[in-house]
Amino acid sequence: MTMETMNNYNGTILIVDLDAKSCSTQDLTEELIEKALGGAAINMELYEQYKDREPLILGSGFFTATFAPAACGGVITAKSPITGKIAHVPFGWQTGVELKLTGFDFVVVLGKAAAPVRLWLHDGLSDINDSADIWGKDVWESTDKLREVYGDDMAQMLLIGKAGENKNPLAVVSENYWGGKDKAGLGAVFGAKNLKAVAMRGLGSLEVADGFFQKCVELKNGIIAGTIKGKAGLYDIGTALGIDAAALDKLKSITHRNDAGYNCAYPYYTFLKYNEAPTFVDMMGGSKEPGCLVSDLMGFASLAAAGVDAPRAMEKCYRLGLEPAAAGALLKKQGAGIDGLDGLAAGGAADGLAAWSVAGALDSAIAAQTTAFSMAVPTRAIFGGQLDADGWIKRQALAYVLGIDPVMAVLSPEITVENMAELVQISAEWDDFSADTLNTICAELVKKSA
Amino acid sequence: MALKVDPMKCTGCRICEFACNYHHDGSISPIGSSLMYYYEEKKNYYGMMVKRDKTLMLGRPEGEKVLMPGEQIEGAGASAKPILLRIACDLCKEEDNGPVCMQACPYGVLSMEG
Ligand code: SF4
Ligand code: SF4
Repeated sequence: MTMETMNNYNGTILIVDLDAKSCSTQDLTEELIEKALGGAAINMELYEQYKDREPLILGSGFFTATFAPAACGGVITAKSPITGKIAHVPFGWQTGVELKLTGFDFVVVLGKAAAPVRLWLHDGLSDINDSADIWGKDVWESTDKLREVYGDDMAQMLLIGKAGENKNPLAVVSENYWGGKDKAGLGAVFGAKNLKAVAMRGLGSLEVADGFFQKCVELKNGIIAGTIKGKAGLYDIGTALGIDAAALDKLKSITHRNDAGYNCAYPYYTFLKYNEAPTFVDMMGGSKEPGCLVSDLMGFASLAAAGVDAPRAMEKCYRLGLEPAAAGALLKKQGAGIDGLDGLAAGGAADGLAAWSVAGALDSAIAAQTTAFSMAVPTRAIFGGQLDADGWIKRQALAYVLGIDPVMAVLSPEITVENMAELVQISAEWDDFSADTLNTICAELVKKSA
Repeated sequence: MALKVDPMKCTGCRICEFACNYHHDGSISPIGSSLMYYYEEKKNYYGMMVKRDKTLMLGRPEGEKVLMPGEQIEGAGASAKPILLRIACDLCKEEDNGPVCMQACPYGVLSMEG
């Protein structure tokens, strides 16, 4: 086997020992890439290697930060405090790309810090910094503060709010100001480690194989001419999925713009403005905090069903680092208003766990097989194509290994195992890589994560 | 000829920026591009800047604005400053398939005018 690893990786795994407050590195070897390729599959290998030390692993996918379609993804792997099993929580937007460009392909966080800390990853360097200054601050204040401290408003964050600090299983790992796709309570794992944030700024680079860019443009053109053609934003996804029409109309009436994660052809992040006119644009003027960026339809619909002002409740969940779907279900049960969210972030979770039950036959069929993948990703084919429980799990495994946005993997049936395997070949100049190998790696990931 | 941006169509996916870097030096990186994404995240305000030969074009959501040498980049944030040191857009004249940023953009935001 020959492959060109520098087209896809920096070649470095960072090991952060929070007990000893020290960092070291190990090589990302060709053997490991050959065995597990990347993302959640390599995370699993590292999890096994360090499993006695309560590992929390951040990984980038094989294609993350490259020209491959929707290659924006990173993935966090740890034991979920909700299920007691392995969970892989994808992170995307600009955060996955930023991780790889810091110079670290994977980050293994071991043990627990004696006092609150954060990790600052930049330019191949890793610092463990004390975080008394932001411990107790909400997610928005913390992100602002970290960008100020590190002097870079392009720095990307994975961090927790009050819910995570309280080790509440309803806590999420947030991405900058916004809730991500954490339905596994990994925010509580950050909290248990006294890890407030991982701040990243990547100015590194990857090499590119001949023909790779053109092949990626071709695939992207197929995707934009495919099932997503003419569609945009959460509104179109919600309509196709049959989500509560009143909640969707509300969403549409305050939609500012639809945004996309790195290299994603479908913009499924929808920015809602409720503190100024939705159409208002001015960098200097207007409200400093006009609204929030929503990508989690399930969370939005759950808060709407609780009878509270859903966009503002979403903002509050983001600030607290609280999972909005469970929070909405609990507010409804308690008959509480938005202020009830503070109590949910502070309180224990025993009551909250019931709210996590999945809805619908397809979701249950998936949950019966695995709880390792994020249920923030729609479980049905959205604008076209066919998807059953097995198909969804396969597509998710593919996305989590390669670093493809997992929602894009559902939205775009044009992304197939066959064309991704061909892209691996071209990208790493790895002639004997096949679709069978890719299928085996994905199946192995599902099995090991059970 | 000049590269033009239709800012309200842009989704901020940033692949044009990385594609331009690839055009200039064959690698994937955000630092050697003639295009630069700038944003004010909490306001969801964002746009693309293009470093041209003598001027800087701000593809702002309010509309395009061309800055002459010495003019302040008002409100584009500290992150915008490094672009003044960047290599200017050469219109990808040598590329067989045309401007690589335009090839990469999924939304037809970028075009050539003139
Ligand atoms: S036309 Fe070429 S040089 Fe100019 S911005 Fe686009 S990719 Fe860069
Ligand atoms: S590639 Fe197109 S949509 Fe994406 S940031 Fe550039 S101009 Fe905007």
